[in-house]
Amino acid sequence: MLKPDVKMELVAIVGSDRYVDQPEVLTCYSYDSFAEEAMPEAVIFPLTTEEVAEVMRIASREKIPVTARGAGTSVCGGPVPVQHGIVLCFSKMNKILSINTRDRHAVVQPGVVNLDLQKALAPHGFFFPPDPGSMNFSTIGGNVSHNAGGPRCLKYGVTVDYVLGMQVVLASGKVVRFGSKNIKDVTGYNFSALYCGSEGTLGLVTEIILRVVPRPETMQTLLVTFDSLDNTARAVSDIIGSGILPAAMELMDKMTINAIEDAVGIGLPREAEGTLLIEVDGTTEACSRERQQIVAKVQEHGAVTIEEACTEEDRNRLWTARRAAYGVFAKISPNIVSEDVTVPVSRVPEMIRKIVEITDRYGLKAGVLAHAGDGNMHPLVCTDRENHEEWQRVEKAFAEIFQAAADMEGTLSGEHGIGLAKAEYLPLVMDQDTRDFMALIKHAVDPDNILNPGKFV
Amino acid sequence: MSGTGNCGKCGICLSVCPVYAVLKEEQNSPRARVQLIKAYKNKKLPSSPLLKELIAKCLMCGSCAANCPSGVDHYSQFMEMRSQLIEKHGDRLEIRGLVYLLAKEQRLRLAMGAARMGQAVVPSAFQKKYRLGNIPVKNYPKLNKKPFRAEVPEEIPPISQERGTVLYFTGCGTNYIFGETGHAALKILSRLGYRVLIPQKQTCCSIPMLFHGGVEEARENIIANIECLQHENACAVLVDCPTCGSALRDEFPAMMRKYGLDDAVAEQIAAKTQDMTAFIADHLDQLTFRQEDAEPARVGYHLPCHLKNAAGSSEAILRQIPTIDYVQLANSGDCCGGGGTFFYEYPELSGQIAAAKIASIRESGAQIWLTDCPVCRINLAGQLAEEDGIAMMHPLSLLAGLLDELDKQVL
Repeated sequence: MLKPDVKMELVAIVGSDRYVDQPEVLTCYSYDSFAEEAMPEAVIFPLTTEEVAEVMRIASREKIPVTARGAGTSVCGGPVPVQHGIVLCFSKMNKILSINTRDRHAVVQPGVVNLDLQKALAPHGFFFPPDPGSMNFSTIGGNVSHNAGGPRCLKYGVTVDYVLGMQVVLASGKVVRFGSKNIKDVTGYNFSALYCGSEGTLGLVTEIILRVVPRPETMQTLLVTFDSLDNTARAVSDIIGSGILPAAMELMDKMTINAIEDAVGIGLPREAEGTLLIEVDGTTEACSRERQQIVAKVQEHGAVTIEEACTEEDRNRLWTARRAAYGVFAKISPNIVSEDVTVPVSRVPEMIRKIVEITDRYGLKAGVLAHAGDGNMHPLVCTDRENHEEWQRVEKAFAEIFQAAADMEGTLSGEHGIGLAKAEYLPLVMDQDTRDFMALIKHAVDPDNILNPGKFV
Repeated sequence: MSGTGNCGKCGICLSVCPVYAVLKEEQNSPRARVQLIKAYKNKKLPSSPLLKELIAKCLMCGSCAANCPSGVDHYSQFMEMRSQLIEKHGDRLEIRGLVYLLAKEQRLRLAMGAARMGQAVVPSAFQKKYRLGNIPVKNYPKLNKKPFRAEVPEEIPPISQERGTVLYFTGCGTNYIFGETGHAALKILSRLGYRVLIPQKQTCCSIPMLFHGGVEEARENIIANIECLQHENACAVLVDCPTCGSALRDEFPAMMRKYGLDDAVAEQIAAKTQDMTAFIADHLDQLTFRQEDAEPARVGYHLPCHLKNAAGSSEAILRQIPTIDYVQLANSGDCCGGGGTFFYEYPELSGQIAAAKIASIRESGAQIWLTDCPVCRINLAGQLAEEDGIAMMHPLSLLAGLLDELDKQVL
């Protein structure tokens, strides 16, 4: 609990209905989708930048930790308040302030749910490309803070590629603005890019200018199966290596397909060792040509079946199934650990073999799915954290998986962020001087370390 | 009953919860309720009036469970937790009263009779001015003059060639408030050639009791219903209320096991239970409708959560009727905020949930708004103004009214 006089000051800013500190309610802000949890001392729901600034002036004076939260659907522990203090929950600060398709931008508050932005853009024939698995419920603020990706980021790039500018409240309570509504802007440092993926450790993003793009004329979706996982992976690196650029290319192994099929039962190929969900988009002519090129490539790699999703309904079903993957693994066991190591796409076959070898060697029940086209792996391990012996094996296996990714010039996280989950592995991909530089920036912006403390920096 | 262990905290449920959609507070989300129950079971949180409120501020629409990829059974967990917390912290007097009434058909019949007299003697000035929950008193439906089941015989023979026998579980909505739904059902079923049995011993399905901690009060009702619905020759047990349907299909067998009783007969009944409109949709080609109407009515539909989450909908049948101008509302599958007694307990919140639905039916220009669930109907009709000129009814009432005249059919 915060000191009574501090509480009084905070309540004076937002009113008693948007300041909560009963243990029952605090419990609900102790978690995201990651395993570790920690209780805040108060939760505040700001509605305006001014309110956030006033809260920060008090928090910095009192040196109270402040952790930003959107919908709490991060999978790395990003919004878990490990050093307690205040959780600033942006879920009610959720207005779409403007949509301007002539100049191709939208201005939003951080609590806007990704899907709600997509729905607002659709009538204009536009969309916002980042499509994390959580897009139906995660917020743009969270997407920005974790520099979220998603299947179609293979072609379109990730969140940072769509952030033109932002308004940020600093630890001190000062309000700064980066970028502009211009597609091109090299006026000073590109701070917006620095804040993308900073996981709330550098400031509180209260307004975001996003680049939006026209929806492609058409989309075509293929479901391809293979009788070996290795062939599946080779097909992926060959397709990308030959210059074809699908919008998305999702790889699922047998266990993943069966887990999804058990849960949703839409007729996915249970027998296949490897399955690719491939989507191309653009003009009808371009799509047809790309599809033919892809079909030829997968056949070279021994594709067993190639099916096309003919209707919008079929397409939606396949994507809904793919998006449910994280959740369906939770059905199998009490806990799941999902990581997102990423390697150059030419190393995808090698990395997948390595993941299978490591998880087999540690006797773990694991599935492999991947946004394979951009090398973004999602090894998923089913486990029970209460089983300490097994949990130790899980930790060892992931340590080896991270090491393997680093050895292949890969990286720890493609889209989930570091948060609590991978902080200890940073040295694998970042040397001491680079980490010191990161700490230097953090210290300059947040000298008292009150912004989401206890995380990766 | 499955535990909370497999909730992966993924947050998919946030995107389908009508309460979260309006409040945007994690503590009012299905994921939070699951985590709170877990914290309570692990003794990290004691029971408290606030905990009870957080668990109870839920429509029990079941959309979280229906969309959960991890197979968490929110519905049963919430029901059990509600029951435990009500035991410790009590419930509102009027809600306890409701549980008391529903537990005995005789009490309910008496209360409904008294309420009907009450409706007749309450001055209209009072009815205009006051609200119960979020609904003006004048907008509540008039109760049936006589309970539906007292108006009709226990066995109704078919009026065309006999095809078989069905059991009709009428629910309290039809029995006490919307008798016309029952009459419409009988008209269609006997036209189809079904012998309809309406066991007089049937009573409240018990769902309202179970939602409000009346696990023991529900026992007698459930057993009585199972006894009177056991009928080997009947090919189906038909319900006109989606919530009764979910009780017969899911809760009766589950509760029998919970009471430590044999669930075999309950399972047989569950397997035979079917939504009346779906049953009729399967036989639609055997009905003849009037082929033309000078001015076909424009019709909208509200899909009740308990039908949607059991993979049902009456929409398909509406598209097949030539003499209506069916207009699909973009939000026809969104929750109305009624939720049993939710609209009475949380009027403001319920009103916020209903607002978008009311706006879209007004915009559609529909004159008739259909829904299968009596609570949705009371809730939505309650929000409409007289000048809207929108009549609410069960799809069965509309269908029965559109049937071709029988003598013409015979000719």
